[in-house]
Amino acid sequence: MAGPAAPAPRLNGCALLALLHKFLRLALEPLRFVLARSFPPAALNPLHHLGALTIFFFWIVLVSGIWLFIFFRTSVDGAWESVEYLTHQQWYLGGVMRSLHRYASDAAIITLALHILKEFAHDRYRGARWFNWVTGVPLLWLVFPLGITGYWLVWDQLAHYVAITSAELLDRLPIFTDSMARNFLTVEALSDRFFTLMAFLHLIGLPLFLVFGIWLHVFRLNGPQINPPRVLMAGSLLAMLLASLVYPAVSQGKADPAQVPEALAFDWYYLLVYPLMQAWPAGAVWALLLGISLLLCLAPWLPPGRDRRSAQVDLGNCNGCERCAVDCPFGAITMEPRSDGTAYASEAVVDPTLCLACGICVGACPTATPFRTRTALVPGIDLPDQPLAGLREEIRERAERLAGTQRVLVFGCAGSRGLRRLEDHQTAAVRLECMAQLPPAFVDWVLSRGLADGIVLAGCRAGDCQYRFGMRWTRQRLERERDPRLRKRVPGERIALAWSDRWQAHTDLRRLLADFRRSLGSPAAASPAAGRRRLAQAAAWGAFAAVVAALSVWPPYRLLEPGQAMVSLTFSRAGQRVHECRRLSQEELQRLAPNMRNPIDCPRERLPVWVEFRVDGETLHRRAHPPSGIWKDGESTVYRRFEVPAGSHELFIGMRDSGRAQGFDFELRQQVPLASGQHLVAEFDHVDQRFVFR
Amino acid sequence: MTLLQWKPAYSLAIPAVDLEHREMIGLINECYERMGSDADTAAIERFLGEIHAGIAAHFALEEQLMLRSNYPEYGAHKEDHEDLLDQIRDFMDRFDEDREAGLRLLQQRLADWFGRHFATFDARLHDRIHT
Repeated sequence: MAGPAAPAPRLNGCALLALLHKFLRLALEPLRFVLARSFPPAALNPLHHLGALTIFFFWIVLVSGIWLFIFFRTSVDGAWESVEYLTHQQWYLGGVMRSLHRYASDAAIITLALHILKEFAHDRYRGARWFNWVTGVPLLWLVFPLGITGYWLVWDQLAHYVAITSAELLDRLPIFTDSMARNFLTVEALSDRFFTLMAFLHLIGLPLFLVFGIWLHVFRLNGPQINPPRVLMAGSLLAMLLASLVYPAVSQGKADPAQVPEALAFDWYYLLVYPLMQAWPAGAVWALLLGISLLLCLAPWLPPGRDRRSAQVDLGNCNGCERCAVDCPFGAITMEPRSDGTAYASEAVVDPTLCLACGICVGACPTATPFRTRTALVPGIDLPDQPLAGLREEIRERAERLAGTQRVLVFGCAGSRGLRRLEDHQTAAVRLECMAQLPPAFVDWVLSRGLADGIVLAGCRAGDCQYRFGMRWTRQRLERERDPRLRKRVPGERIALAWSDRWQAHTDLRRLLADFRRSLGSPAAASPAAGRRRLAQAAAWGAFAAVVAALSVWPPYRLLEPGQAMVSLTFSRAGQRVHECRRLSQEELQRLAPNMRNPIDCPRERLPVWVEFRVDGETLHRRAHPPSGIWKDGESTVYRRFEVPAGSHELFIGMRDSGRAQGFDFELRQQVPLASGQHLVAEFDHVDQRFVFR
Repeated sequence: MTLLQWKPAYSLAIPAVDLEHREMIGLINECYERMGSDADTAAIERFLGEIHAGIAAHFALEEQLMLRSNYPEYGAHKEDHEDLLDQIRDFMDRFDEDREAGLRLLQQRLADWFGRHFATFDARLHDRIHT
């Protein structure tokens, strides 16, 4: 039987994106495979609960965070000391809570990243799903600052680095006129007040928005999964406890603005972007972050978009029984007052902006029975692109070609692979969009009318249905736990459910088919013995804990090469006015409106401030720093960091704030010994009007 | 000869349900008459398929009304519905083996069932919804 000739492959944007989807699916496959082995049944595979697991980690973070908050003091010295107290004196509780707080937030990034990757790879972000995808992007902008402000609060060396780098990043935004980074460069500049602000952001501000954001992220779904299965909750909590006990989170020495640590144990989950700040200008880092966000936001509308028409209600066959609305995983169907003047009270109405055209509603409709032959088979709700009557014809046609006494009809869904290749003289395959699109009456019909001797429902990834509830509804309908139920008379041993927890590839489905054909019964799932399974699960959680803890501190990030010191040049200085004040003449005043007649005109614009910095006569910096403010009337802010080899150097700073073309208004030349790892800050003392090194 | 007779007492005073009850009774009666004569198997099959779909949809609507009004005997009523749907399906596949037995089955089971169903379950549902 020759299929239609495949169109010649065209390499365009669509094909590339589809290829990317496929590549990512393949890349995730080994992980899925390993986890599927350790976590039977498939409904327990952690890969199928990534969103819920992320939320669960958030709960762990919340509970442990409340404990930390009880002991936390919001001041420069208090912050560090209270965290030290928790970590060492109260290690059995506070220390564990601190580690849990850290590792659970790290774990959340892993599950979050996998969640995004998986939804993308399985093409679950387009069409009506755009809303869930796009509302996920702001969540990222909340989660990362939440983690970063957390590192800030500890006020250790990493915190100091985070503070300075974050401030440098924020300084790039046009809303700050002065440099915020300067607040963290010297001990004198630090303020307790700042910790109150950080604590507010970290404890109340960001989490509040995050909870609201999560609600927005899922509220369009029908029955969103907020909590993972209990086994997974227990497992992930134990894994986090394991990491916390074996490798407790500790601080890295109190923050000391006068020192630059050579290397920092670095949390790569939250701070991945920060090292870029050393290589790139802050503007480029912003461009990267905003560019990624923008790309994510636009992704649902990039090709190849599939344009499947949404489900359509046929009022002549709809009595308003509501089953389609109850079963729709996307809340696309609502019951509205009857519009056709019949005696019925309500009717189903499809919102095309929410409908994914999966057909689960068709499978739920009581009128969708193939035994209807007196009138045309038009169910109360149907898919225009794959109408039920056409499906019945397709099944009949394919089944009629089968021969023998072990004829099997395989139903696949959009996610099942290699369906066509299964076909032979006693096997036929029919592809649905979703397994739950098949009304149970069709199973009854195929078997009772002798169209086939057995039916295999070979759906997509077990526990990871493309349309959320396709498998669950199918199974429940067949087991008579959900409407419409399969009739009792249908022999269960002639139906095999083959979600892919038991087969990985085409060959495995073939084997299953052979087994099924032999018995024409439902083969019992051969899962590993409970003991071995526990062991495998424990190993999986252990590995997860190890990965979480490892990337949380390793590889260390090198801030300075050994034998180097750092000099920061940082001050604000208002340049002189560009124009002198002058008295307006009488004629000029007359030309102005009466309320605008100010006799003295002082243009606000200031001159740029010229700054040069030399080490041993070598110029490292010479530049004009423009005044801030839209009227160019603010201070010029200078903030630059320089790496200088340790040793004694002659440092020179020169500045001119007047209009002179040569020489400097202020300068400082000094021989300074620099130790390895030392952080020297060059400031301008506004009281004494001179440069100082601190 | 009519198998089932609509009685005002059957009315639930829910227009949609009453309408479907009447339609169903009409369809069953028509089918019963055809079976008595020498109608061909295919025609009767078509009728039965229609009855099956109609009753399934009707039950779905009734069940939704029951759930909406927190009808306490929903479970029992629901099982009764499922039983009848099972029986109709059995009948659909077997009526042709023995036309006489088929007729008896239709007469006894369906008529019995409808009588019982109206007198008990639907009546109670009616009381529940209208009190």
